[in-house]
Parts: sequence; structure tokens; C-alpha cells
Amino acid sequence: MGLGFEGYVVQVVHGLVYGMLLFLVASGLTLVFGMMGVLNMAHASFYMLGAYVAYTLSAFLGSFWLSLLICPLLVGLLGVVIERFFLRKAYGGGHSSQLLLTFGFFFIFGELVRLIWGGAPLSVPAPAILAGDIQIGRLTYPVYRLFILLFSMLVLAGMVLLLTKTRIGIIIRAAVTDADMVGVLGANVPVVLMSVFGAGAALAALAGVIAAPFSSMYPNMGADALLDCFVVIVLGGFGSLYGAFIASLMIGELQSFGILWIPRLALVFQFLLMAVVLIVRPTGLFGEKE
Amino acid sequence: MKRLPVRPIAWVLFAAFLVLLPYLFREIRVHIAIEVLIYALFAVSFNLLFGYTGLLPFGHAGFFGVGAYGAALIISHFPGMPLLATLLISTVAGFVAAIVIGAVCVRLSGAYFALISLSFQMFLFAIAYEWRSVTNGDDGMSIARPDLYLPFLGKISLQNFSNLYYLTIILVALGILGCYLFLKTPLGNAIICVREKDVRASFLGYNVFRVKLTAFAAAGLMAGLAGGLYAIYQEVVATTCIDNNMSMIPVLMVVIGGSSYFLGPVLGAAFYVVFQDWFSSMTGYWMIVMGGIFIVIILYAQGGLVSLFAPEKGWRWRKEHESDIEGA
Repeated sequence: MGLGFEGYVVQVVHGLVYGMLLFLVASGLTLVFGMMGVLNMAHASFYMLGAYVAYTLSAFLGSFWLSLLICPLLVGLLGVVIERFFLRKAYGGGHSSQLLLTFGFFFIFGELVRLIWGGAPLSVPAPAILAGDIQIGRLTYPVYRLFILLFSMLVLAGMVLLLTKTRIGIIIRAAVTDADMVGVLGANVPVVLMSVFGAGAALAALAGVIAAPFSSMYPNMGADALLDCFVVIVLGGFGSLYGAFIASLMIGELQSFGILWIPRLALVFQFLLMAVVLIVRPTGLFGEKE
Repeated sequence: MKRLPVRPIAWVLFAAFLVLLPYLFREIRVHIAIEVLIYALFAVSFNLLFGYTGLLPFGHAGFFGVGAYGAALIISHFPGMPLLATLLISTVAGFVAAIVIGAVCVRLSGAYFALISLSFQMFLFAIAYEWRSVTNGDDGMSIARPDLYLPFLGKISLQNFSNLYYLTIILVALGILGCYLFLKTPLGNAIICVREKDVRASFLGYNVFRVKLTAFAAAGLMAGLAGGLYAIYQEVVATTCIDNNMSMIPVLMVVIGGSSYFLGPVLGAAFYVVFQDWFSSMTGYWMIVMGGIFIVIILYAQGGLVSLFAPEKGWRWRKEHESDIEGA
């Protein structure tokens, strides 16, 4: 292939950028699955809503940064409402009702986006300070993508600190392992669950906002992101945050290089990989054995 | 005074209505009826897995698509093939695909099963999408609807919509009847037994894997037939037959119609298609309303619409499914 060393570096960074975005979305999905055993299909809708709400907000407020702040809060609130007033009612109906309920929301959000913003692809301009390219040695790279990378790493660092160093983080990790036991020990599991659901939605929306200037948004982006997230949590192991991180980067790189080398097989390969992992190691490549 | 046998009378009237339908309505309505029938078979096949085996497949369109593409490929490469043989091949294609894919899928349950069936469907979708020389990619394959040749009756043109309607209703009715009879066999009881508690079923001597695989294969077979009929009805087969939207349609139909009653999916299919036709003439966003109905049914009326007609089933939580579809 005609790629020089620089070409490979650019491609690797492309993969990292998408992988980090994917991780921001998938992390909430995998934590919620770990805690309540529900595969939240509406989760990728939060990512999509983040991007679309940012489109409207940044046009309305005239500031990308403000929408980066407000948008995740709004979508996080939506997540809390969905958990508190809908999912919680379906707990009596078993996991299938919950899965189907989130499917219903996934469906409605996709259509709502089509209704409000139309079917045509939209995009948000990157803030002026991050527009343009940066020259590093002989490499030119869009500044905005580097910003995505740095920003998502900051979020990741914050998440790791929260989960490992704080009391609430310890409760969350314990609840992923055994929610009932944590409840017996005196933690208010429903509130923790609601918060994690909301925070996961906010994280997904955050990913949506920062993705908005670099990839155009379209009503099917939720469905596409959902499929990628599914592959990530299967590869990483259901409920494993560390696994989701590694798997996100893998899928990011796979797509980045797959499109380059095997454009027609990248899609096929991704789902074949998912099927093989589910068969051979249902706990995921990095998940703990049950 | 003796009570009128309301139910049998209603069924007879309904059957008469179905038979006379092409004479009662304009052509466009008959087309909608054909669509209802095809989706009804697809939804019933989905419910063999969802309602009866306790598995939630998110990739059921894979088999529908295999049937549709099977029919399209046969018609375009072997124009002389009799129509019923083409449909038989679609059915067998769905069956074979389901045996192969099911042998892997049914080892898993719950969310894992949902995802693996989705990944196989996406895999088939990717093949249909990328293998342009055979499938023509997302442009789809146009096919000419062949005529039907029957012994004694001779040539029957399917360009005539009422002939197409009768062919579809006969085959769909046979398919649905087949599913019904299948569930009445000892094997059908074993499927329900596995749904209720697979460990207990295996203590009773059932091979749980084989029972589930049989259900999966039966579902794939019927979905293949539905796909073949769809190809002949639409005269075009594109990746929309095998994409994840197509997989989601039976989920909506079966939940809305009601999965714990055999004919629930049929009602769901009728509701979905008629509602779509009726509402989309007013607004293009009928799916939002459909999604709202779906959520209300999940939350408050898990029996689905069919429980309006089957009071003994009642509007109630379907508690018995609690253990079926588990996350882990």
C-alpha cells in the first residue's frame, strides 16, 4: 500500500479517536448491564441526541463550549427520567420487558430526531480555536481530532478516579458485581442505579457533542453506534469497563485500517468477530470468567 | 335459552370475509391484505422463538432475507422454475440457514442470544450489501413475478391481484397451521417445557439443545417462506429485506399483538400494516405513535392487543417469562 510511516500514524490516530468516542458511549452501556443485567438499547440514542441537541444549542447560544456543558446535562436528565419512570416500572416484568422497553425508546428517539431535525445529514462547525490543521514534523493532522483524543482521555481519567478513589465509585463497582448484596449492606441501590443510568446517558451525549463537528450526524447514527457498542461490550465482556476500553480501541483501529485494506470485508469481519467471541468466550475477551 | 355460539360464528364470518376480500375492496386494499399475510407468517415464526421458546432473536430478518434472496436468485437465473418450487427453495434455504446459525445461537440465552442472532443477521446483511455481482448490493434485484401453473387449472396469472392474494393466503394459512400443529406435537410441548425451565426439561430427559434448535429451524423455515412470498409480491429484493429494521418489525408486531396467544402475532401484523397505511397518509411519523403504543403495552398490558379478544388471557403482567430471558 502507498502509505508511508506518516500515513500509518495518521490512521492509528484516526482509530484511537473513534475508539475513545466509542468507549465514552459503551462505558455507560456496560456499567448499566453489569448492575441490572439490562442491555439498554436506547443508550446509543443518547449519543445521537447529544449530537443533535448540540447542533441546535450551539446555533442558539452561539457557543460550542456552552453546549458541551449543557447538552450532557439535558440528556443525562432524560436518562434519569427514563430509568425512574419507565424502566423501574418494568422490573417486575423481567429482563425481557426491560430490554424491549429500551428498544421502544431507541425506536422513538430515532423517529423523533427524523421529525425534528429531518433526514438530511447535519454538522456543527468546530470552534474557531480548534479549526484547521496542526503541523507536527512532517505530519499534518486536524486539530479537532486531537482535541477529541485529549478530551476523551481526560474524561476517562476522571472516570477512573471516580470509580476507584471515591466511595460512590466503590459502591458502583460493587453493585456491578452483586447489586443485591450491596443493597443488603445498606447502599441505596435504586438511587445508585438511577445515577449511573443518568451519568451513562450524559457520557454518551458528551461523546455525541464532541463527535458532532468531526462526523456529520444523521438519524441512523444511533443505530450505527449501537451496533458498534454491542460489538464492544461483547468483545470486552459484559459489565467489564476495562474490557470495554480495550475493545473500543480495537474496534476503532479495526475500522480505521479495515476501511483502508479490506473495505468490503471490514463490516463482515466485525460481526464475524462478535459471533466467534460469543461462541468461544461468551464472557468476552477480557471479561472475568464466571 | 341456549347461548349463541358467538366464537364459532365469528370465526366463520371472518373466514368468509377473508375469502371474499378481493371482491369487497379496491386493489390497493388487497395489496395491504397481502402484506399483512406475509408479515403475519413472519411474526408467527418469530413468536415460535420469542413466545414459545423464550428466546428473543434480534436478527430474525436474516432468514426472511435468505428466503427473499433465494427466490430472487432462482427467478433471475432459472426463469423456467415453477413458482411453487421456487417458494419451496426459499423455505428450504431459510431452514438450512437456521440450522447452521441456530446450532451456534441456541447455546446462548438472554441478551447473549439476542446479540448473537443480531450479529449473524448483520453478517448476512453485509454479504448481501457487499457482494454486488450476485445481489446487486443496496440497489436490489428486480425480478418479474412468474405465473403459476397448476395441474387441471393451467396457467394462473399472478399479475391479477386477487390471484396473488389467494396464493398468498393459502400458503400463509398452511404455514401458520403448520406452526400450530407443530406446537401441538410432543416436540412442541417439549419446547414450552424448555421455556419454562430448561434445567428441569433436561432432567426429564429432553436434549435441550436439540429442542431449541428444532424451534429455531422451524422459525427459520417459516421466515424463509415469508421472505420468498415477499420477493414475489414486491418483485424487488434489496438489502431492506435483511437489514436490522426488518428484524425489528416482528419484535414490534409480536409485542403489540401479544406473544402469549398463538394468533397474537397475526393480529399484531395486521395492526402494524393497517396502522402504517392509515397513519402514514396523515403523517410520515407514524413510527413515533407506534413506538408509544409499544411502550404502553410493555408497561401496562403485556398480553398485547389480542387479550382484548381473549379475555381468559387477561391484561396482565406476563410473570411466567421472568426467568426466560435473562441478562446473564
